[in-house]
Amino acid sequence: MNKQSKEKKNKVGEWFKSFFVVTNDKEPKLLTFYKKNGTKTVIASLISIAAGLVVGFILMLIIAAASEDITVADAFSGLGVLLAGPFTGTSKYVLTNFGDMIFYAVPLIMCGLSVAIAFKTGLFNIGAPGQFLMGTMGSLIVALNINTGGGAAGFFVWLLALLVGAALGFIWGTIPGLFKAIFGVNEVIVCIMTNWIAANVVTWVFSSMNNLVNTGGGKSNYLITTAVTGNGTPDLGLGKLFNGSYIDISIFIAIIFAVVIFIILNKTTFGYELKACGSNKFAAKYAGMNEKRNIILSMAIAGGLAAIGGSLYYLNPGIEFNFGTAYMTLPAYGFNGIPVALLANSNPIGVIFSGVFIRYLAKGGDNLVTYNRYVADIIIAVIIYFAGFSRLIIELLTKRQRKMTEKANLKIAARTAANDDVSKESTVETETPQNEAAALSDVGETSDGSFGIDNTKDKEV
Amino acid sequence: MKKVKNNLKADLQTDETEIFEEDRNNAEEAPYVVEMRNITKIFPGIIANDNITLQLKRGEIHALLGENGAGKSTLMSVLFGLYQPDGGEIFFNGKPVKIDSPNDATALGIGMVHQHFKLIECFTVLENIILGAEDHKFDILLKNDAKNKVRELSEKYGLHVDLNASIDEITVGMQQRTEILKMLYRDNDVLIFDEPTAVLTPQEIDELMEIMRNLSKEGKSILFITHKLNEIMAVADRCSVLRKGKYIGTVNVADTTKEVLSNMMVGRDVKFAVDKDEAKPADVLFKVENLTVAGKSHKKDAVRDVSLEVRAGEIVCVAGIDGNGQTEFVQAITGLEKIKSGKVELLGEDITHKSIRYRNTHGISHIPEDRHKHGLVLDYSLEQNMVLQRYFEPEFQKGGFIKFKPIRDYSDKLTAKYDVRSGQGAQTVARSMSGGNQQKAIVAREIEREHKLLIAFQPTRGLDVGAIEFIHEQIVADRDSGAGVLLVSLELDEVMNLSDRILVMYEGEIVGELDPKKITVQELGLYMAGAKRSGQAAQQTSEETFKNQEADDE
Repeated sequence: MNKQSKEKKNKVGEWFKSFFVVTNDKEPKLLTFYKKNGTKTVIASLISIAAGLVVGFILMLIIAAASEDITVADAFSGLGVLLAGPFTGTSKYVLTNFGDMIFYAVPLIMCGLSVAIAFKTGLFNIGAPGQFLMGTMGSLIVALNINTGGGAAGFFVWLLALLVGAALGFIWGTIPGLFKAIFGVNEVIVCIMTNWIAANVVTWVFSSMNNLVNTGGGKSNYLITTAVTGNGTPDLGLGKLFNGSYIDISIFIAIIFAVVIFIILNKTTFGYELKACGSNKFAAKYAGMNEKRNIILSMAIAGGLAAIGGSLYYLNPGIEFNFGTAYMTLPAYGFNGIPVALLANSNPIGVIFSGVFIRYLAKGGDNLVTYNRYVADIIIAVIIYFAGFSRLIIELLTKRQRKMTEKANLKIAARTAANDDVSKESTVETETPQNEAAALSDVGETSDGSFGIDNTKDKEV
Repeated sequence: MKKVKNNLKADLQTDETEIFEEDRNNAEEAPYVVEMRNITKIFPGIIANDNITLQLKRGEIHALLGENGAGKSTLMSVLFGLYQPDGGEIFFNGKPVKIDSPNDATALGIGMVHQHFKLIECFTVLENIILGAEDHKFDILLKNDAKNKVRELSEKYGLHVDLNASIDEITVGMQQRTEILKMLYRDNDVLIFDEPTAVLTPQEIDELMEIMRNLSKEGKSILFITHKLNEIMAVADRCSVLRKGKYIGTVNVADTTKEVLSNMMVGRDVKFAVDKDEAKPADVLFKVENLTVAGKSHKKDAVRDVSLEVRAGEIVCVAGIDGNGQTEFVQAITGLEKIKSGKVELLGEDITHKSIRYRNTHGISHIPEDRHKHGLVLDYSLEQNMVLQRYFEPEFQKGGFIKFKPIRDYSDKLTAKYDVRSGQGAQTVARSMSGGNQQKAIVAREIEREHKLLIAFQPTRGLDVGAIEFIHEQIVADRDSGAGVLLVSLELDEVMNLSDRILVMYEGEIVGELDPKKITVQELGLYMAGAKRSGQAAQQTSEETFKNQEADDE
């Protein structure tokens, strides 16, 4: 009985050990895991974030030292508040804050996806704010002009509004795409111009003179909300669940889009073309791909995604649209899509997390009363700045991984050689990768716990 | 005596430059200027250098010979500080040194011309040459001094470059010359040439050989990486051979033969001549009529009024010195560049204005000149690159979704057949593969694709004799199976060995149509240099000693 449990313990110990050291002539499991590109990307992002937080904290200390009102202790507690994100205060508000964080992350995720897909095609979509505004405009015109009072009709109008918004954004994104593909005009310039055109168009359309939208009953310079017309985004009781938060089904829509974009980029011929164009447009042309079509389509899809972000945000029954200042300020959500995409290394799935993460910090910043939320913004900026180093960090990690692999391989080779001497077989050549891989997998198949190599297998090598 | 003096000097002065000078003085007594002992370098999945020792004598031209992927470039990168060795030591003038970066190498006086040029495209030739070694006064560039020095150098060594042209508008050949000038400009003592002749014309190669001899006479030590045996025999004093990352041996070139060297390099005997039967040209497959292509940087047309025919079952070679319109010609007929006037016909169908995809899928395979620019998506894996023109075919996709398994199988099949070596098999990122293996991958992809016409631009550029032999066999086999081959080559050996018919291109025009069996290399060289023209192109040279083959082909 005792022996059995001891053996069991040993096995667990072995299993645990196999993660860190060479066992059964296999490289440590952690190293195998570490070798995956995805792992490295995630680790690199985490390191960037940590570095950003450290620098941010130093900033807080400096501010504490310079200010009479703030003490060093405040800096420490401030960091705590910032890191806690929505999880401060009484439990009632934690739920609300958490729900809000998720809701506010939706437009960020959508704009992040918009920027990411353009990045993959080698384009820089700085036009997300304009596309965001056009989407908002399209969906609000539909949602605020048809008064359904909720129910199934309300849902269909909501869906229609979303589609109209997406379509407008799609068209708006096509413009820089066309200019780039046909005239070779840098998309950044066209995007910046279309941004301001969008801002002014939206203000003009919504100004009360035009009667294009029912603004009656709203605050001055504000539109009424979709709650009034009953065409708001359905929340399936989530708002109640999260104690009156804005949260609705939009987060699921955002996640679906992220997954769809991921599939398009990685599993379809269309994504293959887009990435080929982005990485080497000459080779793409040589291969007969329609580079121009791909540029236009990529920008159009990017436009549609940003527009859906705007639509989902303003179709929420609780959010009011201030058209009065739209012509002066571009929505920050659009621009923030860029750092969201950067932080996620343009990986659509990663965008979900980086979008939520930025909102998490921002929520913490809102609670940072000893400082103020601008400090939080600075720290977020620092983190994003450090995200730019993630490529460098990935390279450093790769270097480290190589060293670890070599070490593991040397150990394995030493053991293999020792075993070979016993079995009077010639040494397994580790000269070419094929041989090495074969040797490794061969060894791996003898999982009888001993270090012995199956002789029949060895002969095949 | 000298030593005492030097010691005194060192005692008295701690100035760095003095110590450096002392190093140099001592060095004359060390037998080797550079000695790499037991260098080992491991990459994931591959041992690039396995315990390699290389000794470079002062003032010698030392060739480093090996197949693609034998580890030559890696070894040189270690010497140049681009890679850190996993084992072994480097001695410079008999003293152990640690070379952590190219800056360290430069400080020691080691200069390198890389196989893939390290030039800044939007800078001018002059700016590239002086980059990192700029003379300045009060932070103002003294470009004129630099210009004069570079001019002197370029005249002295016959390295003609347009100093004010930017890199992206000059030919590959001129870029190479810029790289060599860059090294000379820095007064380096140890010069590494990484396959310098791959892009040069025969005459230029002769000139370069002469330059290298002069440099070694002046006491500069040259490491010459190549797999062209003729050049080694012509210019090198000693030769070290690597094979699959291992050190095979060092021989005195005077005491050896080409055959011995190639045997050392490949591990077996290699045929130098291409084994092929008489061509049996059938119907005309491909026809170009009066093709004119506008030039990029100059007002002169790059290709002027070119007409040619390729029949099924023959290899037609467009020979010429780099930069005489071959690039533009091939890009025009493959659809990469616009045609100013003229007509291109494939199988009797006018394809002048057809899309690249149409050409790709209707019988044209194209091995491009620049494998990095056109041939590969470097960030894609090997398997993704293998289906670059075929990913949309039903074999590899269904309803827009990629079928990963067939792509992997197809890629594995091709890489096995063409012996494309890579660290992680089909998943290897193309960027991390050696140049020769990248080229083999492209050749495999293009020959294995269904095609009627194979357009091959320098198909063996940067390949070793073993691989060249193989690729040549494949091209001949392709011809024998009924395809037409349009070969564009700058290498005379290839032109003479492989082609059934030679067309010489000079300044955008076809200046001669020749029979490889009836012409000598020297005569071909004269055509390529524009010194001779055959009957049709210029009537005044009617008394040529060799025949115009056009009549035969009719």
